Amino acid sequence: MNKRTCTALAAVLAASFALGTAGCSGGKQSAGGKDGKNPAAAHEGTAIGGTPQKGGTLTVLSNQDFTHLDPARNWVMNDMDFGTRLLYRTLVTYKATPGTQGGGLVPDLATDLGTPSADARTWTFHLKQGVKYEDGSPVTAQDVKYNVERSFSPDLPGGADYAARYLAGAEGYRGPAQGRHLDSVKTPDDRTIVFELRKPFAEFPNATVMPTFAPVPQAQDKGPQYDNRPFSSGPYKVDSYARGKKLVLVRNDHWDPGTDEVRKAYPDKLVVLMGLKANQIDDRLIASQGADASAVSWGALRPESAAKVLPDARVRERLLAESTNCTDMVQMHTGRAPFDDPKVRRAVQYALDRDAVLTASGGPAFNDLSTAYMPASLFGGKQPDTLKIPVTGDADKARQLLKEAGKPDGISTKITASAGDKGRAEAVQQSLGRAGIKVTIETVDPSAFYATIGDTENRTDMVYTGWCPDYPSGSTFLPFVFDGRFIKEKGNSGNHSLFRDDATMKRMDEIGAMTDTKAAAEAWQQLDGRILAQAPTVPVLVRRWPLVLGTNIAGAYGHTSFGGQIDYATVGLKDPAKSRD
Amino acid sequence: MTLYLGRRLLAVAGVLVAIAAVTFTVFYVLPSDPAAAACGKSCSTDRLEAIRAHMGLDRPLWRQFADFVTGIFTGRTMGSGQYALHCAFPCLGYSYENSEAVWDLLMDRLPVSASLALGAAVLWLALGLSAGVTAALRKDSLTDRALMVGAVAAASLPVYFTSMMLIYGLIRTAGLLPYPQYVPLGDDPLHWASNLLLPWLALAVLYAAMYARQSRSSMIETMAEPYIRTARAKGLPRRTVVVKHGLRAGMTPILTLFGMDLGGLLAGAVITESIFGLPGIGRLFYGALSTGDQPVILGVTLLAAAFIVVANLAVDLLYAVVDPRVRY
Amino acid sequence: MTTTPTPASSPAPAAVPAGSGPWQLARAELRRRTAVKVSLAVVALFLLMAAGAPLLSSLAGWSPEEFDKTAVDPYLGGRPLGPLGGISADHWLGVEPVTGRDLFARVVHGAQVSLLIALTATAIVVLAGTAAGITAGYFGGRTDAVLSRLMDLTMSFPSLIFMIAMMSVAKDVNRILLMTAVIGLFGWPGVARVVRGQTLSLRHREYVDAARVGGSGPWRILTRDILPGVAGPVIAYTTLIVPGMIATEAALSYLGVGVRPPTPSWGQMIAESVAFYDTDPMYFVIPSTCLFLTVLAFTLLGDALRDVLDPRSGRT
Repeated sequence: MNKRTCTALAAVLAASFALGTAGCSGGKQSAGGKDGKNPAAAHEGTAIGGTPQKGGTLTVLSNQDFTHLDPARNWVMNDMDFGTRLLYRTLVTYKATPGTQGGGLVPDLATDLGTPSADARTWTFHLKQGVKYEDGSPVTAQDVKYNVERSFSPDLPGGADYAARYLAGAEGYRGPAQGRHLDSVKTPDDRTIVFELRKPFAEFPNATVMPTFAPVPQAQDKGPQYDNRPFSSGPYKVDSYARGKKLVLVRNDHWDPGTDEVRKAYPDKLVVLMGLKANQIDDRLIASQGADASAVSWGALRPESAAKVLPDARVRERLLAESTNCTDMVQMHTGRAPFDDPKVRRAVQYALDRDAVLTASGGPAFNDLSTAYMPASLFGGKQPDTLKIPVTGDADKARQLLKEAGKPDGISTKITASAGDKGRAEAVQQSLGRAGIKVTIETVDPSAFYATIGDTENRTDMVYTGWCPDYPSGSTFLPFVFDGRFIKEKGNSGNHSLFRDDATMKRMDEIGAMTDTKAAAEAWQQLDGRILAQAPTVPVLVRRWPLVLGTNIAGAYGHTSFGGQIDYATVGLKDPAKSRD
Repeated sequence: MTLYLGRRLLAVAGVLVAIAAVTFTVFYVLPSDPAAAACGKSCSTDRLEAIRAHMGLDRPLWRQFADFVTGIFTGRTMGSGQYALHCAFPCLGYSYENSEAVWDLLMDRLPVSASLALGAAVLWLALGLSAGVTAALRKDSLTDRALMVGAVAAASLPVYFTSMMLIYGLIRTAGLLPYPQYVPLGDDPLHWASNLLLPWLALAVLYAAMYARQSRSSMIETMAEPYIRTARAKGLPRRTVVVKHGLRAGMTPILTLFGMDLGGLLAGAVITESIFGLPGIGRLFYGALSTGDQPVILGVTLLAAAFIVVANLAVDLLYAVVDPRVRY
Repeated sequence: MTTTPTPASSPAPAAVPAGSGPWQLARAELRRRTAVKVSLAVVALFLLMAAGAPLLSSLAGWSPEEFDKTAVDPYLGGRPLGPLGGISADHWLGVEPVTGRDLFARVVHGAQVSLLIALTATAIVVLAGTAAGITAGYFGGRTDAVLSRLMDLTMSFPSLIFMIAMMSVAKDVNRILLMTAVIGLFGWPGVARVVRGQTLSLRHREYVDAARVGGSGPWRILTRDILPGVAGPVIAYTTLIVPGMIATEAALSYLGVGVRPPTPSWGQMIAESVAFYDTDPMYFVIPSTCLFLTVLAFTLLGDALRDVLDPRSGRT
């Protein structure tokens, strides 16, 4: 931009950021400041557009297809939002509330949040009366059990593995295909379901939010094809689904709002247009003309579109940017040289220019720097900064640490990153290079990424990946990322630093057994800092999920438990008459 | 003629089998693991092995290929138990990523790619041939030079550049057209055309330029032939000479080119479809690449080869109609 | 309307001394054309740029992979600071958004990669194509039949689709090498057909027959008598396929199956810049212009060479 627009822009930004000054001299950084308020986060914890009117067609513009809508296979944040808020109900679900309160649980199919036995090894749920499928038949406890069993089927991969991790007698179970059933899930009558667990698990209701715990009637099961036409128990049913092109949802007339305290189901119809270009979606929503006024974006705003959104107050009014609560990390293979030496790992910790990665990730408006492993929501709102490493890194200190480790000439290593993280990986490469750590990048297609880095033998020394807590508890973060007992030679997940530390594991078990949730939360926070000091991974940043909404959208907020995606339970239109057909 | 046709059809089948074999070898021998790709975020070795067995990847390669080829003609059943899949004739395999038979996927996307290719073809033939013939008939005139300079420049423009300029000019700035978004022809012909106009233009600019250059040189050559001179000497009107004699013979090389180009485009214009976000076969193919969806990759390659081979055959047969010198 | 060749496309004998060989005639004819001079200059410029990439970028003071955070505005998605995509005395062609990498350094290094791949692939295509074409044309019979079938088969492959697939399947290999090989693999039948046709027309000429009667072996006839005869069309055809090769490299890199980051190539630069076409137009325009100019220059050059060296063949 030239000097004049720069000044004008700075003025606009200065005013809207409530900053005192925003200098624009000599072509230096023009806008914003790290201490200023983030303009993108202005709507954090609030809904945009007031209360929607009933009716109309909500359009969702997407650059991709859903990974899976089959509830047994659906384990991607956004898809879980879409599936459980629109198409199928689960035993328990998240509150439909903006902000951190959205992490709270409410009963959905069940009448309450479940009744544990004294040792929290057996959990009983009762189903509500009057919950029906799209053909009017009632939802039964057997259908929930059946879908839990389906999630074990090798033909239906991809789903959450909480059932496999916690249910008793689940070892070696391979789904209901051969008529075999799980004895640890009992259905004494049509509206009661009992889960018997392998070990005490006080947070089991949190797990029953997963689509694994949605009902699928056996008569409707079509194996892998069920993915294309899930049978609805929610407020909408599939009218047509052309994979990769278009999904149309219409009302399920048998859904009874009286049984549902979460879903509002404002629009009459939802149309998901898929396979569009991400940048064209951004442009369409920024312009918000015609039918696009009643549209929302499925994917996050592209970083390069920030320059079209942030300076414009009228567009910024329609911007959501809730945190995804996922921490991106540079994870080092602690099981072999050179990263078996904590000094080398700490050198990486010091060399890394998190600010450069942040810029590559869309800048401070769409990301928050990370100084701890668990996201801020698990620290009560703000991550502590125990190490006090400068955001741009400290290359001298890193070099010194390398010298102490006996590697004065630096090291050469490789990092694997998903294709979408290429820019971030390049920033890592560049900043570690300053301290003599020469990094080669291997990008992998997103679909093959987890399989590639899960091969502990053949993978690279470093990987760039993150972890999102499945629900707001330290127990869904630290044990998944740092417990050495869950390392698998192939198909490894979570613990990509292959970190195995006896003191840490012992402490995790102790915290896991705590019944006082507040004490447990504090204990997780302290453990976080203790692991950080050993530097198995370097936390980099927590992304936000920026979304520009059409001008006719109402009741929209980013749901904190769905990675900042719009809560599809409550979104609707200001004026249904303005939407297409 | 019948004999010729029979021989050609046999050759077509041979070429297709050869291409299938080469494609199959490349994708199943080079390391890539579709089972792992399907397995997801947290994948146990146990589960991975099971998927692999279901996909038939543990069987010898030649068996997989033999199954594949027979499946095309008879259909086949994959897997066992409750989730056994019947893949009906013509079975080009089953896409696990999409939970759908490859053939169904292809047929689902074909209308989009066909709309794109045929519409663009009409545009580029009209633009390219008229420019080329005009230039040829006024060889070395100012018109000729202007047209040819334009053609050389347009042929050198990368399609992504043309596309972005069109998007910027016609959508962003002028607001004349909507962002392309496929509407089936049967639903609403007007929207179908207005949504596709931009991709048509982007593709047509490139091809029209090539066809203008080609048809110009071809026409110049034809018009210098003795029989044209004879026709003119007989006193036939210029129009008749150009249209009846010149065009007919001058267009044969264009026809060959056109067969190849259209055949290739019918199976998906990968770049154009991905720039404009059109859900055609090219897009399907590109998506399949990033998910390692080998059955789809194989299917698209075969379909594309089939289109090219069949288009070539059609062109050869058309020669007899267009060029009086050709008889079978 | 005129059907007789006009002076513009026929050699002007007056300009060359009598008794000059065909090559001298051709050179004199080429020298007369402005388009040839301009395109030669453009080609030479880009070749020099490619060859001297490390030197040029060190002159400008930036390596192609070096970040410059002071040149971009992190708050606006990393948009370059300053007019025209950050063009300044420091960054001659501005910077890449987000990373602040120097565009000049990346464009010249990109030229290196793009031209290296395109020219090597062309060399492979021409060598393989000429060898196959001459063999098929000269020996005829079964050799010709087999080679011609192979040409037909290769030409029936949906080449771009197949190239993309091959590039995406192969993981741990030298990308530049693989890309060159893959592009080369599908290009040879074009050259082979041209050469075969030319050889067919040459092999029963009197001087070839004379050589055969004189006891020359096939190798000697092929290299001494046939090869010079096909050289003209081959040179013209070669120049004309270079732009196609450049465009193919760009297309593959554009689709993300080409060279790996952070190695720049024009196609990959354009692919990344498409997203910025309206917020930072210069970023998009610069590599696109380079690609356009190179392709254009090679096409013009090829046209001229064909007119002069192979006046009969209007078809490619």
